[in-house]
Amino acid sequence: MIQLINLTKHYGNLAAVDDLNIEVPAGQIFGFLGPNGAGKTTTIRTMMGILKPTSGQVLLGQHDMLREPEKAKAICGFIPDRPFIYEKLSGHEFLEFVGKLHRVETTRLKDRIAEMLQLLELTSWKDELVESYSHGMKQRLVVCAALVHQPRILIIDEPMVGMDPKGARTLKDLFRALAANGTTIFLSTHSIAVAEEICHRIGIIQKGRLIACGTMAEIHRQASPADGSLESVFLELTRDQERDNDHP
Amino acid sequence: MTSIALLLSPVWLSWKNSFFRGRSSWTRRLLLGFFALLFWLGTYIVIRRVLRYFETVYDLGPALAYQLLLIILLTFLSMLLFSNLVASLSTFFLAADLDLVHGTPVSHGSFFYARLINTTINSSWMVLFFSLPIFAAYGSVFGGGVTLYFLVAVILPLFLVIPAAIGILITHLLVYCLPARRIRDILFFIGLIAFVVMYFLFRFSQPERLVQPESFGSFINFLGAMETPSSPFLPSSWSAEILAGTLFSRDTAQGFFFALLSSYALFLPVAASWVSGAVYLEGWSKAQESRQGRRKHDWPDRILNVLTRPFSPILRALMVKDVKTFLRDTTQWSQLFLLVALIVVYLYNFKVLPLDRSPMPAGVIRTIVSFANLALAGFVLSAVAIRFAFPAVSLEGKAFWILQSSPMSLGALLWSKFWLNFVPLLLLGELLVFLSNLLLQVPAWMMILSLVTMGLMTFGIAAIGVGLGALYPNFNFENAAEIPTSFGGAVCMIFSVAFIALAVMIEAWPIYALTMRTLYRGTVTTPELSLIVPSLLIVLALTIVAVALSLRLGLKNLESMKEL
Repeated sequence: MIQLINLTKHYGNLAAVDDLNIEVPAGQIFGFLGPNGAGKTTTIRTMMGILKPTSGQVLLGQHDMLREPEKAKAICGFIPDRPFIYEKLSGHEFLEFVGKLHRVETTRLKDRIAEMLQLLELTSWKDELVESYSHGMKQRLVVCAALVHQPRILIIDEPMVGMDPKGARTLKDLFRALAANGTTIFLSTHSIAVAEEICHRIGIIQKGRLIACGTMAEIHRQASPADGSLESVFLELTRDQERDNDHP
Repeated sequence: MTSIALLLSPVWLSWKNSFFRGRSSWTRRLLLGFFALLFWLGTYIVIRRVLRYFETVYDLGPALAYQLLLIILLTFLSMLLFSNLVASLSTFFLAADLDLVHGTPVSHGSFFYARLINTTINSSWMVLFFSLPIFAAYGSVFGGGVTLYFLVAVILPLFLVIPAAIGILITHLLVYCLPARRIRDILFFIGLIAFVVMYFLFRFSQPERLVQPESFGSFINFLGAMETPSSPFLPSSWSAEILAGTLFSRDTAQGFFFALLSSYALFLPVAASWVSGAVYLEGWSKAQESRQGRRKHDWPDRILNVLTRPFSPILRALMVKDVKTFLRDTTQWSQLFLLVALIVVYLYNFKVLPLDRSPMPAGVIRTIVSFANLALAGFVLSAVAIRFAFPAVSLEGKAFWILQSSPMSLGALLWSKFWLNFVPLLLLGELLVFLSNLLLQVPAWMMILSLVTMGLMTFGIAAIGVGLGALYPNFNFENAAEIPTSFGGAVCMIFSVAFIALAVMIEAWPIYALTMRTLYRGTVTTPELSLIVPSLLIVLALTIVAVALSLRLGLKNLESMKEL
């Protein structure tokens, strides 16, 4: 469903994403982990067609993001790390706008908005201007917007930032339910606990390169952590890579 | 078409929600509406008087009015071109909602035309607002009836779209062609191009020809020259030709010029959309990459430390922060190019003014021009203050909480903003007045009076800018360039212009009296100069009121703000 083929993105001489090859089949939650500045957000922005890759390909549901951007975006929902919402629009108006951009038919859109607002507990706030929402409410509204057109692929950059435990739980349950229904989820996160809890497969990126990829068990085999936690695996792998880079 | 309307809907809905559900009261809105109307009427009356005066000049009236129309439209065109360059950079490459829109399956064509409309409206509404009373004044003096208003309604959108499409086209090519890893490089070029374009546009208009009939050989030649545009390849000239046909019942090829104007207004957006389709993604991607760190030099810090030494530590910290963010914010400092263009063109016009050809004695005409210059320089200064002083408080943006939660009074904040804007404005104002008076070779008393008056006016202009900026702050701006074009910006401009007009009017009578004495006796004595003292004192009092009132209104609003 998602294929990144030799994806490379350079900023001048810096390779922010370096020859990335990832494949995520339908219905799978793929966790994308890495330290700060590793290239996670650049990868995601390139996947969504916001950045043009220096080379390589992004295929979303067989659609090449460069050649058929409209078709590729039509089946995607995107939750950016720093989402923008029009502050002077009400929550309902914002969802209506995004739904129409995705060409959702009017009656279906109405039902869908009501359903999403209910699910993320925003119904009573739907007619309030976004400027009066709390941070967590804005996050939930962005999730509604990403799902309003029932995308087959969901691309998420740091979803739990600023969420309270209840909101985080709702989101995790939602992602699991979506994946069970066939939605493919590409989830970039700092939170190892989140990755461990909901992801079927994990990729670890450092300095633009994929240094490990596979199921939890496969990742464990690649490192020899002191304890069995993913956190130790992550620290072990990223430390090894640092050492290799410092002493080639 | 539906997607274009859909893409524009957040703008419209945000406006509607701000209007009906916003925080400002209806009384305040009505009051502001009243002031806007007053300003509109004032413009109408002044232009009408000028045109009526032109009408009294035997045979030359319509020709002079036509030349004035050409100059007005040319000025609009140059202003529009620059503001479209800046606005299109923001709407196409820097706006905060671009990630959201580009994440959805919207075709590039719909995106382009929606942003074209957005850019055109953003950068043209003020020109539209100021142009309507001018056209109304022309209509009332020269007639034209319903046909004139119909023509204005048809021509204006076409006239506004052309510079918007050109601005967008240039911005796209710049972002695409330059090794643009830093947007400020692009803004540098935009500023430079705007400077060159403005300079040439102003020179094309050759305003000095109005007072040089002898250079045309005969009166018929002069009249002929006055009735033709000096630059026939500009949309402003085509629009003027179309309007002239109806206004002055002249035999112009209205149909031809309308075809010319509309074909360009239709072709240029299409051409720009083709170019955009080919280069946008590459350019947008480059614009993302430009957000990089900067090299560190410590010499600006050292200069800043020396310059701010006289102030208290808190004011000093604020000023250092403001200067640094200003110099690092390209959307802010790039506007300095416009300022340089303005000064050069301004002073150049004084240089080419053929004062020795005037029927009045040179000394008298020089004093009159110098006095008019005081008002003009004031207007220039208030235009600059709108760009820099008005956004001063809003620029604190979402970081305003740091100041609110710090142990400093908001009054100190306003004063720091005031002084920071006052000093450069004072330097600019005094420089404009001093150099133009030098070029005019005015008498010493006029030079001193002008410098003192300009000094007083700068106090008022800076305070109105900063104070009203605090009264109408916009902490949620998408880019700094949009702050001055807000409603509050227009109110600030109105107050600023009204303040200058009042100050100048107060000094008009004593200067008139002194000038008349120079005319009849060749000179003025020192006791006679004391005539100017009462009016200077009144201007001083007016300045104190303007400073106190503006800053107090701004402060009161900031203090009453519970949430941003």
